[in-house]
Amino acid sequence: MRPLLRLVTPLVWRVPGHGARKLFEFARAEQGSRLDLLLAARLTTSTTRRAAYLRHAADETRHAQMFARRSTELRTAAGSGSYGPPIADTEDLFERLGELRFLAFVHRGEARGRAQFELYAKHFAARGDERTAALFGAILVDEQRHESYTRALLVELAGSEAAARRELRRATAWAAWRQWRRAGRALAGLVFTVAMSGVYCLAAPPTTLVAYLTGRRAERGRRRRWLQAPPAER
Amino acid sequence: MAAVLGISGGYHDAAAALVVDGAIVAAIQEERLSRHKNDPRLPFRAAAACLAHGGIPAAALDRVVFYEQPFDKLERVLVSSLAVFPASLRQFPRAMGSQVGDKLWVLDELAERLGVARDKVTTVAHHRAHAASALFPSPYERAAVLTVDGVGEAVSTSLWRGEGTALTPIGQLEYPHSLGLLYAGLTAYLGFEVNEGEYKVMGLAAYGTPRFRDEFARLLRVEPDGWFALDASYFGRLADAELGFGPKLEQLLGPRRPPYQPWDLEGSERDRRYADIAATLQQVTEEVMLALAREAQRRTGADALCLAGGVALNAVANARLLRESGFAHVFVQPAAGDAGGALGAALLGALELGDPRPAPLASAALGLAIDPSAAHALATELGFVVTRADDIAGDTAELIARGQIVAFCAGRFEWGPRALGQRSILADARDPDSRERLNRAIKRREPFRPFAPAVLAADAAQYFVAAPNAMTPFMTTTCPIRDEHAGALAAVRHVDGSARVQTVTAAAAPALHAVLGAFAERTGVPIVLNTSFNGAGEPIIASEVDALAFFLGHPIDALVVEDLLITRAPR
Repeated sequence: MRPLLRLVTPLVWRVPGHGARKLFEFARAEQGSRLDLLLAARLTTSTTRRAAYLRHAADETRHAQMFARRSTELRTAAGSGSYGPPIADTEDLFERLGELRFLAFVHRGEARGRAQFELYAKHFAARGDERTAALFGAILVDEQRHESYTRALLVELAGSEAAARRELRRATAWAAWRQWRRAGRALAGLVFTVAMSGVYCLAAPPTTLVAYLTGRRAERGRRRRWLQAPPAER
Repeated sequence: MAAVLGISGGYHDAAAALVVDGAIVAAIQEERLSRHKNDPRLPFRAAAACLAHGGIPAAALDRVVFYEQPFDKLERVLVSSLAVFPASLRQFPRAMGSQVGDKLWVLDELAERLGVARDKVTTVAHHRAHAASALFPSPYERAAVLTVDGVGEAVSTSLWRGEGTALTPIGQLEYPHSLGLLYAGLTAYLGFEVNEGEYKVMGLAAYGTPRFRDEFARLLRVEPDGWFALDASYFGRLADAELGFGPKLEQLLGPRRPPYQPWDLEGSERDRRYADIAATLQQVTEEVMLALAREAQRRTGADALCLAGGVALNAVANARLLRESGFAHVFVQPAAGDAGGALGAALLGALELGDPRPAPLASAALGLAIDPSAAHALATELGFVVTRADDIAGDTAELIARGQIVAFCAGRFEWGPRALGQRSILADARDPDSRERLNRAIKRREPFRPFAPAVLAADAAQYFVAAPNAMTPFMTTTCPIRDEHAGALAAVRHVDGSARVQTVTAAAAPALHAVLGAFAERTGVPIVLNTSFNGAGEPIIASEVDALAFFLGHPIDALVVEDLLITRAPR
């Protein structure tokens, strides 16, 4: 994965407008992660882990703001407006996975993020974009800490290194399954859109004609008066 | 005697409300628990929390009432989409996907996921739920009821005669003729987010001059009896639900304001123009509401008016209704928007099962309590200094008087979008510096958005005109600040001289009442600045975990959780 990333990184960041969009997507990802961590903090039974999740969530908030700010700077420099605040959905991961696999999933994400950001920091430093390189550099420090504490908590909660590794493998499998389902949903959405567009094109013209002919009369009747509620609503 | 759960959701601001034996036991917006602002998803967390608070297992519920009729909604969406063929080509598959794939089966989903028999899950019409949420918790036995929002199933505006436990419809207007859609469309045009930025438009309006009346006359035709017609061709909502307005509106009013750009009302001619558009919108809204209210009074002869629907959250319009509509009393419950539909649905279900009408709503504290011992343990773990105070009200008042900003949590959290002393951030209402610091470091609001004051109800009339009234305990109206106090209350005074005041009694918000009393003892002023305990774009805090997460990430001086004073360790 990493060699591929190294190969495509210089290309993708050079696409006009892509940098600001990608940074904003990072901001949203951090925001989503923050929401999941806040819910985890609420649901965990351990005060120590609750505090750890809250500290992590506070970092994610800061990261989201940093990414969003840099995205806005790039957009402004290009003469466009900001994407706005990074709003994200939560996936309710803690409730769906339980604490052990949640931790494995978070650890996996942090490790991937750290590897990605290391590459990006180097890439931007080499390009002479010190501001973006510094942004990734600053966030990297936190990512390393998150990777480390989630690993420690995972081992503690799983009971052993071997059990932690097993959970990590399961989290990886679950993430792949999630990707597969997402792709399936996207495909189903596409098929549905095509089918509904067909229904629309077939049904709408005659319906519109009938509505036009009868609706005008109804509209004339409706003008200038309040309507009465139907009996069912009384 | 029955246990009834009301549910609203699917569009924005989902909520659940539990009514047992006719009494409102709990009412919670999903966003408070999911931490997702205006969370539209069906409120299973809120429902579970209501049931847990009431000690009622789902299987023991006598009825679950959803606040809308899904098939009627589908019909309206279908018909209105087809009516604008071919402009709705892009919108149609999305609308059908949402309706047919999801919303149509809401009653089955509720039954399945709540664990309730399907035949116990019923529906009421959207505006009937709104009307019930307005009338039944009000202090009035007999009242006119007016509901005004974007759109329910098909109805956008409705008038009712309310008497005891009876709600009789006396007139309605249907989509697309909707004041809510007008306000939402212009909210989007002004660069704000729909269902979130309407308060901002209301605040902005005070900075403008309503000089676009001729243009607005093309958007909306209003008759003296309150009947109105919206020219839907200006509003893209029929074809484009995301934008909310069409190119014709930009031809009429000029180009839209790009979203997320900083406002400069002093230096930018362009922004002053947008403020004038907001002022015109606000004036038109108020005049339509006034005409509707007068018509409601003419038809009912009542001397009290109860309002609900998203437009009823327009506090400035509500103040004008009280002043000019001819009604002696106007009541707006704290969650007048779609969340309130859950309460209305539950109350209608309970009445249908033979339960009595609830007692008048005395307090908005219908959410979950905060846990001080859990807060103590977590704050200690996070390295904060925790002190159990003998006189927490006095200590809080002392901090505020010294210019500090205090996050304040006491009792069960509020129902509705306003912080009313259960999850509030408090500061000195006399001190513009506190306000500036609060805005710069924590709230990051646009410069034109005012902060609100909380005042001891007994002293309210001394500082504010027309306070207290039936709306002021819930911050659903504004009142002018008396001239002699205008300078002293600079931090909470809007540019038009008004304030969205909360009058506080010991019954409604005992902890805040004690703080106000202690603050008055120290300063002679029974007023503090009270703003919601949340960051920009976030829901208001619910639990001690949320409160400490906020404290960790924002430069608040102190956090109060019941009798705990939590501060940062000195560096």
